[in-house]
Amino acid sequence: MADWKIKRQVLRAASVCMVLFGILAVYVIYLSTWEADDLAHNPLNMRSAAARSDIVRGSILSADGKVLAQTEADGKRVYPFGDVMAAVTGYNGEQIGSAGIEGHANPALLGITGDMSRLGPLAQLLQSDRGNDVKLTIDSRAQQAAFSGLGGRRGAVVVLDASTGAVLAMVSSPAYDPNDIEANWKNLSQQEASPLLNRAVQGLYPPGSTIKPMIADAALTDGATSEAEIFDCDGVLDVGGGHTIRESHGEVHGRVNLRQAVTESCNVTFGTLGMRLGDSKLQKAFERFGFAKEIGEEILMTKSHFPEFGKLSAGDQAQTAIGQSALLVTPMHMALLADAFAHGGTIMKPYLVQEIVTPGGTVLQETRPSVWLKATTPQMAATIDSYMEDVVTKGTGTAAKVSGVRVTGKTGTAENAAGRDHAWFIGSAELPARKIVFAVLVENAGGGGTEAAPIARQIIQSLM
Amino acid sequence: MKNWSLLLAPAGILIAGLGVLYLKAHPAVGRVTPDMILGLSYLPWLAAVIIVSLVIQAILVRHKMDACLFPIVMTLASVGVVEIARLKPSLLVPQLRWLLIAMFLMVVLVRLWGRVHRLLEYPYILGICCVIVLFLPLLFGTEIGGSRNWLVLGPFSVQPSEFGKILIVLFLAAYLSDHRRVLTMPARRILFLRLPPLRFIAPLIFIWGMAVLMFVVERDLGSALLFFGIAVLMTYMATGSRSYVFLALTFMGIAAVICYLAFGHVRVRFDIWLNPWQDPNGMAYQIVQSLFSFGTGGIWGTGFGFGHPGFIPEVHTDFIFAAIAEEMGLIASLMLMACYLLAFWRGICIALACQREKDLLLAAGCSTLLLMQAFIIIAGVTKFLPLTGITLPFISYGGSSMVSGFLLLGMLISLSKEQKNG
Repeated sequence: MADWKIKRQVLRAASVCMVLFGILAVYVIYLSTWEADDLAHNPLNMRSAAARSDIVRGSILSADGKVLAQTEADGKRVYPFGDVMAAVTGYNGEQIGSAGIEGHANPALLGITGDMSRLGPLAQLLQSDRGNDVKLTIDSRAQQAAFSGLGGRRGAVVVLDASTGAVLAMVSSPAYDPNDIEANWKNLSQQEASPLLNRAVQGLYPPGSTIKPMIADAALTDGATSEAEIFDCDGVLDVGGGHTIRESHGEVHGRVNLRQAVTESCNVTFGTLGMRLGDSKLQKAFERFGFAKEIGEEILMTKSHFPEFGKLSAGDQAQTAIGQSALLVTPMHMALLADAFAHGGTIMKPYLVQEIVTPGGTVLQETRPSVWLKATTPQMAATIDSYMEDVVTKGTGTAAKVSGVRVTGKTGTAENAAGRDHAWFIGSAELPARKIVFAVLVENAGGGGTEAAPIARQIIQSLM
Repeated sequence: MKNWSLLLAPAGILIAGLGVLYLKAHPAVGRVTPDMILGLSYLPWLAAVIIVSLVIQAILVRHKMDACLFPIVMTLASVGVVEIARLKPSLLVPQLRWLLIAMFLMVVLVRLWGRVHRLLEYPYILGICCVIVLFLPLLFGTEIGGSRNWLVLGPFSVQPSEFGKILIVLFLAAYLSDHRRVLTMPARRILFLRLPPLRFIAPLIFIWGMAVLMFVVERDLGSALLFFGIAVLMTYMATGSRSYVFLALTFMGIAAVICYLAFGHVRVRFDIWLNPWQDPNGMAYQIVQSLFSFGTGGIWGTGFGFGHPGFIPEVHTDFIFAAIAEEMGLIASLMLMACYLLAFWRGICIALACQREKDLLLAAGCSTLLLMQAFIIIAGVTKFLPLTGITLPFISYGGSSMVSGFLLLGMLISLSKEQKNG
């Protein structure tokens, strides 16, 4: 007969077994929760890549319905516009990572909404085997016009819808062809012209005279001058310490008011205003117009580089006011500055993704225009806007004139360490359908009025 | 009614799981092509499995045998079938067939239990049989998957150790209950150990030695651990002497150290366990991929059929637990572990209700063996213990494993009947 002793021993042994099994269960819990993220995201773990390759990537479309990127039946990703749209679409490669919309909208293109990869059955309810399409704000005509306007020269163009902030064109040149970027990667990444850099949002340049409308706004707002004041330009401004600021090409503007100073891009007047404003008011003006801000989301804009406000000499103040000194900004920022004056003092937040559409046609997400900054008052914006209109009708920017369209602008010819001056043109155009603002930059091309303004004209004409 | 509703779980898992796989393979609506029908060629086997399990449950209920264990085991088996259908569709029909054969053999064992039971009177015959079965692969064995523990008999490959473990439980139950008094008699004291004369513990030492030998010669660490562990636990159950446990652990420790120093493949395994990240794409590839499975699965899993457990080599046999954890998450792995614990506890309850000492030890041994096997392989694939190549009972693909699992189940069920009869 089995006695109580043996039963007790069986129970003890069984308890030991169950405790051991329980410890193992605790360890499995630890592995599946605490350690799970590290293991799931371990670079050697091919599972998420495999899950992604199971999904057919969605297409990228332009606002006018053109295909910018799509995946063909054989799984190859094609970019019909090639290098024209490279700054917008970016690329996506296993070895090289991703950039542009391909990178930013990756989850949407794969149809992954939020991080649900580990929600089990629930995630599968919302996951289809084809990703969503991303419809952009890009107008292929404007993009094409801007790209051919640059004609392979180094530079960048940004075109925005003035009242919404929708990015109509974003060009960086020279560009790469995303169709075969993976094969050419080594070559592209070593080129001195850095085609992989998106100059429109990441290139930093001295703004030159294109910053003058903002300085005019600051000087009027802060009472450093009035519209009636007459400046006497003899071609040279003594900024103290034996330094001087000269007009380009040795011009002499004579007696000018602020309007004429903007129209003629008078360095003496703005150098004077810069010194009058001083460090703190200059800094305040740059901050008011968002130069210290980033945008975020799909537009990864580099912050501006400022001179060291608070320690500037009078000469630096004058140089900053004519867009030189240590001041460096991106073309996107200059387009936003143009928007401030073209859109009644309010800068709209720029955006590229208009909507995300499922394969079935349901709109998952739609971007609503939003205000980025209230930079200045509507009255002040109207004043400066009228100055900028004069620039195009009778000043330095006549090359941007398009008959039947009200075009405003400001030229810039920025001195820089790299060689010839950078040519700038920023401004706006009131087209029948919409008002646009733009910033055009051509590196080391020379005068803004002759090199950059014609590109703006071509863009305006392409949209008519 | 209670007895029948328990079978709903396995039936539900089978039908839902295979249904999901079918729909996933044929997403288009409305078109019927011949290969869609061919994709369902497993249906007769599936129906047979469901009907046979219903019949078995009916027999169990009618003869007042334990009606809980079988549904629990069928739940495990159905998870296995569904997961194998997902991992290796070509092995689905063979697995269903093995399941049928195993269930059939289980019924035969329960029917003939009276005769089989008499074997317990001849412990030494059992012991010798066990030794022969275990040593067969040494003489005629074939190496499959790195372990020389397979016998190839015509179209079948058999793993003798799967059946050796049943024999060893039978032997231990018979031998230990016969010699319980002698073994507990403290004849000699060595230090703090109380040990009977050597001739009485010689068979035990022989088993331990055999386990070590299996590991070294056949490179079958899993079975070695299993044999060793079951011998230690059953000896303790029978004698209650901690001296044996201590002696055994010392013995194993020394053997492990000697093996580590003397054999390269042992050292490699141990080093992989200590630090798999040194060679994640080489020697440690399997265990690292298995860990990734657990991490990727997390709590809820990636969803059945939507993970990528295929990265793990041998995923349908030894690593099936990792595949389940990846696709069905922590929830499923804990459920399965709970099933094993439930089955174990049920088996211990059967043991405690047995009238005869031999039956008690046999029932306890059978349940412990199943739990221990699950423990060793789950601990192995999660890197809790060094990885060992044994199957996850009732879930992994494999005929030998399935049949031996169901034979153990059959013994437990037969013993549950004995208690009722008094």
